[in-house]
Order: sequence, then structure tokens, then C-alpha cells
Amino acid sequence: MIGRDYSHDDELRATKVHVTQGESHVSTDPNVVMTTVLGSCIAACIRDPQAGVGGMNHFLLPDAGDGRGGSGGDAVRYGAYAMELLINGLLKKGARRERLEAKIFGGGKLFDSLSDVGASNAAFAERFLRDEGIPIVSSSVGGVSARRVEFWPVTGRVRQRLVAVDNAPQEVRRPAPIPQPASNAGDLELF
Amino acid sequence: MPQASSISVLVVDDQLTMRALIRNALQQIGFKDIREAPDGEEALKNLLAKPANLVISDFNMPKMDGLALLRAVRSHPPIRQTAFVMLTGRADRELVQRAVQFGVNNYCVKPFTVQGLRDKIEQVFGQLT
Repeated sequence: MIGRDYSHDDELRATKVHVTQGESHVSTDPNVVMTTVLGSCIAACIRDPQAGVGGMNHFLLPDAGDGRGGSGGDAVRYGAYAMELLINGLLKKGARRERLEAKIFGGGKLFDSLSDVGASNAAFAERFLRDEGIPIVSSSVGGVSARRVEFWPVTGRVRQRLVAVDNAPQEVRRPAPIPQPASNAGDLELF
Repeated sequence: MPQASSISVLVVDDQLTMRALIRNALQQIGFKDIREAPDGEEALKNLLAKPANLVISDFNMPKMDGLALLRAVRSHPPIRQTAFVMLTGRADRELVQRAVQFGVNNYCVKPFTVQGLRDKIEQVFGQLT
């Protein structure tokens, strides 16, 4: 579980945890609100209402994942891993898989281009959650705006604001390079 | 050189999507005899009923996790020789060290590439055809 950017928001009376690309965070604290800003990236907000635990991830598939879980592409494996990290984090904090429910956000098309990476990302997330039997109780994907999302992990409340591309933070207009799939660097040497 | 198509594999992961992705990667490498189990408990039953040459197992799973499955496999004489490759997250260095103690043959860090998985399996079986 990663969530390095903490701050206190007097207006919200909550501890804000900013979840950036490649990160995920899980909490059982009713005073925590998770925030993120999305362009073509996806944030999945998943929680177990009964256990009072929820979490958010934020990911961008490395290339045009086509949303077909069985395609076997590196992009889909990366996305599946991002979702797995979040789900495992929830299970470790007492969630039960069969009670999980999800809200998904992002997948916008901020610029004119032939490929619609945002749509591919949204299709992947929807397909993944459907295959894993996790209901999507609410979603806001696609469109041409960036999104500011705030998620209260214990109650499941979400607040979203659309942001014009020109006003979106730099990291949304130009997403960070995607971490490459595991290399051997840092591995334990078994052979 | 062993033929991938002659090696039977049991894929163990609690996420259907991940099992599908691992199966797909194995098929790209040339494996044909591929079975699946959603957790360690089911995997152990499956192996005792019909042994496999290779187990590729996730660590975090309900009922019986990957490490417990590895220990169970190594403690059942009929299947104790089964090659065992553990799938781990990047931060699971301690887990890998424990898995080595319990006799894991190799491990593969998620998210993996097809070539990365192939390399890990070939380190156990030798170059595959």
C-alpha cells in the first residue's frame, strides 16, 4: 500500500491522501478522504460497506489495452496487477471479496488523437470488475475533461469536479512514464 | 530440451483475470496442459487427485496462501517433487526469502512479461522448445 502525500484539510475536516499515478491506498479511517486528478487514467474506488474499509488506485495502461482480459498483453497484465494490489490491500484490512463494490472514474480523451487511450483504460476496468464479480455501483468515465475526485473510503461518498484541460495539472496533461514490467533489477538471485 | 507442451501446469490465483492472463502467457510459450485453481486449498486437492509438473502460484489468496500451498506440496511425498514458481509483488522480498527456505524453485515478480515468465520457467526446466 502506497500513499505518500498526506495533508489536513480544514474545510473538509479530514486527512487528505493524494493518490498519484501508479499508487494505491486503503483505509478504515472515517476521517480520511482520498483525492486524485485524472485525465485518461482510471481511478477505481472499491470498498466493503460492511467492514468499513475502502481504497483507491490510479493507473494508466502502458499502451492501448483493448479491455479484453484474455488478450494477454503487457498492458492488461499491468492493469490487472494495479487492481490486484488494491483488492489485496482491502482484503488484508478485513474486507470480504463478495461484499466489494466499485466506483470508477477517469478515462477521458483530453486531446485529439487517433487512439483513445482513456476509453481503453475504462474498458479494461469495466471488464476486470465484471469478470471478478465486483459490481460497479457508480461511474463517470470518458468525456473530454479532466476530473478531480475525492473519495471517502469508509462511507463510499465521492465528490467529482470536471476540470477543463487547460486548467488541469501538468501531470494530468502529460502523464508520468509508465513503470516497465518487472525486470530482474533488485531480484534475489536464486540461480 | 524439454517440450513445453509435455509439461503439465497448475495455475493458482484467486483472481479470474490473473489466471486468464497467466494461462494466455503460458499458451504463448507453448504450454498446452494447463489447469487452474482459485486458492491453495483447491490447488492441493487438485494436485493430490492429479499431479502436475509445474505449479505457478500467487501468494495472496484466501483459505490457503501460496506459501502454505508450497509447504503442503513439499510435505506430501507423491507431489513433493513438483516444480513450484511463486508470483509475488515487487515489495515481497521477505516472502521470497521464506519461499526459498520452503523449497520454491523460482519466483516471478508481477506485473510480468511473457518473456520474463518464460525465463523463470526455463531456469527451472532448461530451455523449452
